Amino acid sequence: MIKDEILTKKPIAILEKIEESLERLNQKMEVIIEIQKNGNDNQRSALALPDASLDVMTLLSMPDHLRKTAMAICRCVHATAEEIAGQTSRARAVESAYLNQLVIMGYLKKERKGRKAYFYVDRETQG
Amino acid sequence: MSKIIAVHSYKGGTGKTLLSVNLAATFAKLGKKVAVFDLDFRAPSLFSILKAENVEYWLNDYLNNTCDAEKVLVDLSSKISGNGKFFAGLANPSTEAIRDMSAKDRKWEMRALGRLLALKETLLVDQKFDYLFFDTSPGLQYSSINAIVAADFVVVATTGDRSDVDGTKRMLLELYNLFEKKTGLVLNKVLDSSATAKKTEMSNKIKTVYHVPMLGIVPCFCEILRAEGNLIFVEDKPDHPFTKIVAEMARKIENNEVN
Repeated sequence: MIKDEILTKKPIAILEKIEESLERLNQKMEVIIEIQKNGNDNQRSALALPDASLDVMTLLSMPDHLRKTAMAICRCVHATAEEIAGQTSRARAVESAYLNQLVIMGYLKKERKGRKAYFYVDRETQG
Repeated sequence: MSKIIAVHSYKGGTGKTLLSVNLAATFAKLGKKVAVFDLDFRAPSLFSILKAENVEYWLNDYLNNTCDAEKVLVDLSSKISGNGKFFAGLANPSTEAIRDMSAKDRKWEMRALGRLLALKETLLVDQKFDYLFFDTSPGLQYSSINAIVAADFVVVATTGDRSDVDGTKRMLLELYNLFEKKTGLVLNKVLDSSATAKKTEMSNKIKTVYHVPMLGIVPCFCEILRAEGNLIFVEDKPDHPFTKIVAEMARKIENNEVN
């Protein structure tokens, strides 16, 4: 019984790591696709602003598709792409792409807890 | 369902404070637990209107993160008849506080938005408030837009003034629409709106001009001007037509009938 557990645990752990890596790769791909789809010169120049803060004037100047995601994360404080998708009624993969785009732009922070990625507005250090 | 309601307008003097206080008081008279917050930090007025005494903490302190939301609430339930609860969160009227609030930067405004959004959890969920009213400053001020973003519903007060009509139309299109906010329009200080046919005609005309639902039409009442912003009208004059109009607005909000 114990031997069986040892034999099955290791492959499962390896598979979980592979799945996590694939998930991360997938998210990066989604961001690249999304930036290619919606990106324009203004957006590109807005990427990674050193003083990026998610205040209402920033929200107003955002493109509609990103504003919807940003508004949802403002309401949730701390959420996964799936939770944001529940609020915006858009697909999880789409929200994941937009959230990652907001992370790249410097408006959100991202942290991993186990297999889940959480996004949040860092109000203490931003700005 | 509990809600945060922001009362906003393009121009000053459209009756935002009158509407905020009297809508909140109407809900309190119906037995609800309500709070009205003064977010007009450049020209605070609730302090004088509600004649609050011995205020220890201001809304400014809560937004500055130096006290909890509960500390800001002044219990004014004794000013209202019935079993409801009526609280106020007041803006500090001192010149120094007004100057301080005018000099806040984007980082502070972003945190202030977080503090306003947090009221949903601390007051609506934990303290079981039914309604929170945000009385805002006119136009596109940071504090007003923060209030609009944090609100579930926006009451837009307007008058027949040409510049107000144009500005309100622009604001509806370029502000509330972008934030996907549910709005209800109140046309205030209307001359000669007594006849029912005239009211319907006016309501239809407004829907065509603004493309948003009507919450109510308020005629120009001399009694309100005579009161000099000195009273909670719905409490002091329960049989006045204004009280009935505000009660009808409250009913529409409560039943989600603004469409």
